Amino acid sequence: MDTFVYLFNGLTEVLTPNNLLIVLIGSLLGTMVGVLPGLGPTSAIAILLPLTAVLEPTQGIIMLAGIYYGAMYGGSTTAILMNIPGESSSVPTTLDGYPLARQGRGGAALGIAAIGSFIAGIIGLIGLVVFAPLLADQALKFGPPEYFILMLIAFLVLFNLTGFSFVKSMLMGVLGFLVSLVGIGVSTGIPRFDFGWSALAGGFEMISIIIGLFAISEVLKGLEENRTTIKQEEIKSIYPTRADLRQCAFPILRGSILGFFLGILPGISATITSFLSYDLERKVSKRPERFGKGAIEGVAGPESANNATSSGGFIPLLSLGLPSSPPLAVLLAALMIYGLTPGPVLFEQNSQMVWTVIASMFVGNIILLILNLPLVGLWAKLTEVPFGILGPIILMISILGAYSVRNSMFDVIVAILFGALGYLFHKFHWPIIPFILCLVLGPKMESSFIQSLEISSGNVMIFLERPISLTLLVLAVVLLSISLFLMKRTRKRIVQETGDHMEFS
Amino acid sequence: MTLTRFSPDKIGGAVCTIIGAVSLIEALRLYPYGVGLLTGDHTFPGILGVLLCIGGIFLLFKKSKGFGEASMPKGKIRLKMLLSIMILLIYCFLIGILGYFLSTLAAFTCLFRLLGSYRWIISLFFSATLTAVLYGLFIVLLKTPFPGGSLFF
Repeated sequence: MDTFVYLFNGLTEVLTPNNLLIVLIGSLLGTMVGVLPGLGPTSAIAILLPLTAVLEPTQGIIMLAGIYYGAMYGGSTTAILMNIPGESSSVPTTLDGYPLARQGRGGAALGIAAIGSFIAGIIGLIGLVVFAPLLADQALKFGPPEYFILMLIAFLVLFNLTGFSFVKSMLMGVLGFLVSLVGIGVSTGIPRFDFGWSALAGGFEMISIIIGLFAISEVLKGLEENRTTIKQEEIKSIYPTRADLRQCAFPILRGSILGFFLGILPGISATITSFLSYDLERKVSKRPERFGKGAIEGVAGPESANNATSSGGFIPLLSLGLPSSPPLAVLLAALMIYGLTPGPVLFEQNSQMVWTVIASMFVGNIILLILNLPLVGLWAKLTEVPFGILGPIILMISILGAYSVRNSMFDVIVAILFGALGYLFHKFHWPIIPFILCLVLGPKMESSFIQSLEISSGNVMIFLERPISLTLLVLAVVLLSISLFLMKRTRKRIVQETGDHMEFS
Repeated sequence: MTLTRFSPDKIGGAVCTIIGAVSLIEALRLYPYGVGLLTGDHTFPGILGVLLCIGGIFLLFKKSKGFGEASMPKGKIRLKMLLSIMILLIYCFLIGILGYFLSTLAAFTCLFRLLGSYRWIISLFFSATLTAVLYGLFIVLLKTPFPGGSLFF
């Protein structure tokens, strides 16, 4: 009951003119960046993060959450109209979305994607409201050993999730961890990996690295692909017909429930759930031969599953401080910049802020649904902005953004360096996701490990002797097995549909 | 440039092994300051160093399956990519001398010319507009103190 009182208080806080404006700007900015080919939610948050620094922490996080789900919506626009899946989780949307667009029904597909995303988003948020405080409450019983085991499990599962070689994923995670160690040591206060250089003693600024890896490298990739404006299919009717809505009601519901419940399990990404939902819809359909040729259920199911999984990801993020995807890792970094520590204590110490942000997501989803359908034409036009204009703008905003975080030119150089590295990582299939997650979580994992061993006077058996951590380990083995099986299946499906290997989102 | 003799995975493996070795050296340097073998600032550099060396050596000796092989861009595209990075690095240096306005205008103009192949006058027009917009955003709104150059603005 308390939960709903908190949520109501959060809603009253959001429904002030200032906060409403922030939600509106965040959702629209996110959609605007998300529709630009090649830029997904992670790049959108990375590019726009420095611009939110002028806001109060609550407003800043509200805006970033808006940018996140706005960009998620924007991604489906390019998938449907241009056959460009911004992320691997949008691949199933292209399978029927693009054929629909070619039949002149791109508007209906976008409308269904928006409605599906809205319903899935709301179901995910209801799950967040119900489960996150419960989980946070349980997580209060966790000590450093349990946290360490939890993060170790998250890493192991995620290394398997990238879609690439496990060894390369593990190495990238370790490299991210190593970069996070640069600077003052947690135990002794002695600088590590500074090599006598004072700039390194202060450590790397996470945001500069994220900007480099996700924004600057994106421009380099665009240059190589020689991105030109791809002619999109004409949009005839914006709104889906009543028959479309009837046809999609159950796929949306099925996709949302499947996406949410599978998505809250560690190791199940949006890519897996969207492919599972697509295959499920094809299986239950009375005319499966329509799939791949423009079946609107093929858009409704995966889009809903994708969004429900993404909303579900907020549960471990807010209650345990564990991000399950790169955009959530960037959001975690943003929360840290605002001086907040995501995890069980967040609900105790910053309860009002957390509930205001959650309430803002409900409002943001409604705003997106109301605004995005009539604005479909405008978003579609935005995809036509030439790369020759977009590239320099992204580069300069990235540079100025990287500088503005700590007013340091060193951070700018770091962003440029990681931009070039990000391009090489992408080129040679070294996954960036484990790097980012370990970069963000590295310091927390190190302090949990050292605290655990201080408690046990150096005995590593502490991780197996405590009942909660042992239970977590057993659960991890089960989850890892499920994840390995689903992962193998999804990897095969991606190659089947695109003929290419993609990093999972 | 196709990397045939040394596959990218092998190069990556070698780089990881070297970084792992550096991490182990750093762990050894920090070890005397720690309380025990597993409790101190040396612990994670040590563990990560070992993992990097093992993973790196594994990649070095692993038979390549072909996946992950790719060729670097050639000719004009490579030049454009290198020049873009150069422009950004020169911009970092120039902003301290010329200040925000002139250096941003110059960097933008060069980037528009390079990436969009627009005529100089059009590039200059786009650049002036965007330099002003970003001035409003970062300096007026975000109050970011950019280094003042000799022509500070």
